Amino acid sequence: MEEKSITEQESLQLINKMIYEAKGYYYENGLSALIYGFSVLICSVLSFIIANGNVQFLFNPFYVLIPIFFIQAWIQNRQDKKKKAKTFTDETIDYVWVGFFLCSIVSLSALFAGLNYLVISIILILVAFACLLTGMITKFRYHIISSIVCLFLAGISFFMQNQNSYLLLAIAATIVWIIPGFMLRSKFKEVLKQEKNQ
Amino acid sequence: MFKELDPILHSQLRLAVMSLLISVKEAEFTFLKERTNATAGNLSVQIQKLKDAQYIEITKQFKDNYPQTLCKITPSGVKAFEQYVKNLQSYLGKS
Repeated sequence: MEEKSITEQESLQLINKMIYEAKGYYYENGLSALIYGFSVLICSVLSFIIANGNVQFLFNPFYVLIPIFFIQAWIQNRQDKKKKAKTFTDETIDYVWVGFFLCSIVSLSALFAGLNYLVISIILILVAFACLLTGMITKFRYHIISSIVCLFLAGISFFMQNQNSYLLLAIAATIVWIIPGFMLRSKFKEVLKQEKNQ
Repeated sequence: MFKELDPILHSQLRLAVMSLLISVKEAEFTFLKERTNATAGNLSVQIQKLKDAQYIEITKQFKDNYPQTLCKITPSGVKAFEQYVKNLQSYLGKS
């Protein structure tokens, strides 16, 4: 592209093209989604086993998620530094998930009130809400559908309120973090491959 | 009566840079170079002109021991861009 004067029609076409180019930019390898997803999945399954009395554990496995969140945030921060541009979409999604994390931490206080299984229902609603916002912001239909599934799981969990609720959380972790994590990872590898070939 | 188009923006490369920056929070020099297919020298000159007009902010820093140039559109840049698009629409609407 050179520094030259253009017609009004060309200006408009150029603006459209560049805005489309900038909005289409993303740099996401899916690693943090996979870390978080597998951590929630393992904690949920572990909690289910403990609740069934098969295994003894010193503390609630979900407390492990707090340091995991910071590790995941550190990985995300490192990845963000590799981005050549920060889009408003990225920023908004970050705020949505930080909001989700803070609400989840507060809802964990219900554990101290002995409302173990109600926490899961609340977290499932929060996951569904964050996932729905992410899907709407990114116009990614998968997230919108998975948020509806999560809401459905949350609805079921209110009637369950037993150790099987942990399994609902494990399903939510798989559909909200693990599957999209693998999808992002394969797309990321594809983009890297294309960049190398260029 | 047609309003005159801003001469700072009515240039292919500068308009491309402004269109990219209006869509993102901030962008690296390399991002702008890749998306516009401009040469580093030409792009440097054009972003300097945008900076002189106070349409963009340029931050130079180091990332992993490598120099990094970050560009960000300023509020007056956003205003100028919006006015440019408005004027452009009046041109196209009446032509």
